[in-house]
Amino acid sequence: MANLFKGQKQFKVVTIEECLSCKLKMKRPFKINDYVYKEGEMCQKCGTKMIISAIYKEELKY
Amino acid sequence: MGISIFQFFPTDNSSIQQILSLIFYAIFFFYLFFGQQLQVQRILLSISGALNKIKDAQDRSRREIIDFLQKNDYKGDAISHINTLIEYFTISPVDLDPTGLVKKIEHILSVRDERIRGEVRSMLPEKDALTISILENLLEIAAALNVYYKVVRHYYLIGKKTSNLYLLMQLQMVLPDLLREVEALVSAIEPIKNAQPIGDGIGPMVAGRLLLNSEKKQIARDTIFGEVNYKNRVLYVIKAEGPAGNVGQPGNAIEYLISNYGLKPAAIIMIDAALKLEGEATGEVAEGAGAAIGGIGVDKYKIEEIASKNNIPLYAIIIKESIVEAITCMTKEIVEAIPKVLNRIDYLLENRTKEGDSVIVVGVGNSIGVGQ
Repeated sequence: MANLFKGQKQFKVVTIEECLSCKLKMKRPFKINDYVYKEGEMCQKCGTKMIISAIYKEELKY
Repeated sequence: MGISIFQFFPTDNSSIQQILSLIFYAIFFFYLFFGQQLQVQRILLSISGALNKIKDAQDRSRREIIDFLQKNDYKGDAISHINTLIEYFTISPVDLDPTGLVKKIEHILSVRDERIRGEVRSMLPEKDALTISILENLLEIAAALNVYYKVVRHYYLIGKKTSNLYLLMQLQMVLPDLLREVEALVSAIEPIKNAQPIGDGIGPMVAGRLLLNSEKKQIARDTIFGEVNYKNRVLYVIKAEGPAGNVGQPGNAIEYLISNYGLKPAAIIMIDAALKLEGEATGEVAEGAGAAIGGIGVDKYKIEEIASKNNIPLYAIIIKESIVEAITCMTKEIVEAIPKVLNRIDYLLENRTKEGDSVIVVGVGNSIGVGQ
């Protein structure tokens, strides 16, 4: 979508999944229906269910 | 042969001298008599450029709502429905006799909220709370942009009609700040549409972190709470119900816990995003005393009232961010403030309360994209 204001930066939104047992963190692009504290995927390290611990935007660098 | 500057301003009575003098006097008298009109035209031109930007922003917010409604299978006359809701106004109660003013404001705001929510529900009757709240938030953005556009246009047209330089100058002076706020509102459309957390959601995020793995109950409209055993104290953690875009009613929730639940808390700790001053770093955490909550003041009044009546210490932890950051998608700097806030809560619990005490912790802010 075109920017109305000059100098607006472009961002991508990322989702952080965190394992509460082994503290492993995984970063992936945001998907619709993601929300903070929703159950995520299985932890690749210890096999427990991860949670979405954060969703934030990151500046796109070209 | 060098060129002297005096060649351009000859001092003799040559024809060049006479022409230059004539031009000088023409410019001098033109500015003397028409300078103000010229300035008015210049300011009108710059305001009309800004007005077009605000109009584009207003149009875009309406388009986004129409797209959202179409995506959610709305079949009615979207434009007239949207116009009615965007133009919906609230009349503040009379303040000649301030006694009971907060109660009246609360009543009027509750009537407005119920009316808007009812209308939105009737537009999308089969949709969940999240979709309803997204539409409500998008309508709020469109209504705010509508007000910005109409007010700026009003002063622009009055200034143009009366050639009032001083009115136009005042408008021109506030325009950069107005445009920044308009830009922030436009940038808020995308995260709200996708139900992504916004900067203002840091309070509910901290509360949600404390509430992980505990049972949550509804305590007030769009507000939940849970009991958490933490550092040998019982925390009563309150937040707006997510992941829908709610701010909840923390004032009513605290009132209920103390008056109806019989709770005697040793402290109330409020966590909220706060506007930073230029030069301050985003995500900086500060601690203070008082009710950390924005809005019109109904919740703030209730919390202050109950805390002072029961002599409960009221602690505030704020996370600093700009107005743009507060209503657009959450940034990494704000997320990184969570451990710092949790450390401050630990410090307050260990130093200002005793083991076995009950403490109310409130995460204040919009819970869009933040569950519990």
